[in-house]
Amino acid sequence: MTRASVALAVSLLVCGARVSRAQSASDFLRQGVQAYQTLEYDAAVALLERSLRRDSVTGLADSLQTRALTYLAATELFRGQRDSAVAAFRQLVLLNPQYRPDELVFPPQVTNLFQEVRRATRAIAVAVPPVTELRARLERFTARVLASALADVTVTLAHEDGTPVRQLYSGPVADSLVVAWDGCTATGTLVDNGRYILRVTPRTPTADGPRARQVVLEVKQQPPDTLPWPPTPTLLPERTSTGPALQSLAAGLVAGAAVIALPSLLAQGKDATGARYAVGAAVGVSGLVGFLARKAHPLDANVRTNASQRDAWKRRVDAVKAENAARLRTMRLVVRAGPETIAERGSP
Amino acid sequence: MKISGLIGVLALAVPAFAHSQGWPTLAFRGDAGFVWVRSDTAAGAAGAIRLRGPVLGGEGRLIFNGFSVGVGLSSGTLQTADQGTAKRDLIEGRLLLAARPLPWLEMSLGPLVRAYVTDAATERWVVWQARARVDAPIVTSSLTSYLELWRAVSSQVNLAPGAGRVQGGEAGVTYRPPQRPFSLRLAYRVDDAAVRGAGDRSQMLEAISVSLVVGER
Repeated sequence: MTRASVALAVSLLVCGARVSRAQSASDFLRQGVQAYQTLEYDAAVALLERSLRRDSVTGLADSLQTRALTYLAATELFRGQRDSAVAAFRQLVLLNPQYRPDELVFPPQVTNLFQEVRRATRAIAVAVPPVTELRARLERFTARVLASALADVTVTLAHEDGTPVRQLYSGPVADSLVVAWDGCTATGTLVDNGRYILRVTPRTPTADGPRARQVVLEVKQQPPDTLPWPPTPTLLPERTSTGPALQSLAAGLVAGAAVIALPSLLAQGKDATGARYAVGAAVGVSGLVGFLARKAHPLDANVRTNASQRDAWKRRVDAVKAENAARLRTMRLVVRAGPETIAERGSP
Repeated sequence: MKISGLIGVLALAVPAFAHSQGWPTLAFRGDAGFVWVRSDTAAGAAGAIRLRGPVLGGEGRLIFNGFSVGVGLSSGTLQTADQGTAKRDLIEGRLLLAARPLPWLEMSLGPLVRAYVTDAATERWVVWQARARVDAPIVTSSLTSYLELWRAVSSQVNLAPGAGRVQGGEAGVTYRPPQRPFSLRLAYRVDDAAVRGAGDRSQMLEAISVSLVVGER
């Protein structure tokens, strides 16, 4: 047998065991409820307690836990174990401050006891969607703060190391409260990528008061597509080139010099007349005239055309800049929430 | 004078007519100038003869597709520079076949006949010249400078046995007034000829000319 086969077999065994235990917990709950309904309270207590037995892997889901605790409390009450019933209801309230036993299923003495315990047990909780996608500043991430009784709470968002980011709410919660967050810090800037803690804390912590709850939020920015800069305009030359003027000057001077130098080049040792100097000077002056005539000068029509092109381009750039700024302001955020946990006292 | 008048009329009328018909074009040039001639012999400066005098002339060209055929004629009467009474008539005739491979370059080839005529004798030079001319615009299409150099591929002079090196050059400027069918030219020209053989003679001719050119060259 290969190692892979062994690993596969072990994995299947472990997974099978987990599924089996999970089914057992549900079965215990189902059997416990049946025992309660047939008034077999001792058996019901045993089965329900077994279904609630803590196991990090196979524990019941919250909804099933609340059901098990409700039946357990009712069973204990009918067994005459009022303290055990109160303890089960207290655990139920702490688990879910919003939970109410179904009055069609449970008799008034059960629901009345629950209300009594609920009033005496001050608990708060926070519920957030597992994943929220929002456009920062325009849309809101929402968290639902739940309280078993009137509570004065502060809802804050902080970095993982405890550095405050923003206080989202501070005030009373009678039953439940929706707290919204637009993705920005207290100064109005967009939050960076990272892990944040959403914490609901009693404003005046007491020993018997509700314990703070928190949820870890994983925030990730999804930058929007921005527009490219408009292409720079092709501008016309705004001055004539100095090249033609220099060519003119060179052509005139070279030809003038040629006139003067021709006898020396072609008839060496001969006395040439001085008349050539006059012709050479005239040719040279014509080069100077050409230089002045073709000297670089501004092209007004091109200057005007370029100015309007530059203005139009600048307007396009400004528009793109504004559009990109607007897009960046409305960056998308993806917020993934972890499980709700009890904040340790003195934790950041 | 009659001939000059006829040439003038043709110079004005024919190019415009030919150009309008899409035919080969004609160009004419009329020159007025002053010429200096210095002839030296081996005997030294004492043997130098200096002549000078005004010259009139003209040239006509038939131009087609970058090629041209031309004929030129100029004449004048030269006097000795030391106020002597001796005179010589200068007559110069020229035929040429030219090609313009580039807009700024013209190459030409052709015979030049120059004669100095006195009552006693006529000194006649026959030179086959190869020429190269470069045009350099100063102000495009209105002011242009040019430089032309030539050298004889063969030369002959009747009064001396044999001929040697003959070369020359010309440089100047051409001005074409805007919206006008003619142009004006100012030029300086120099020719130098050395004759080897009996007596070892040399001759230098300088000329300054002002020209009126009608038609495209």
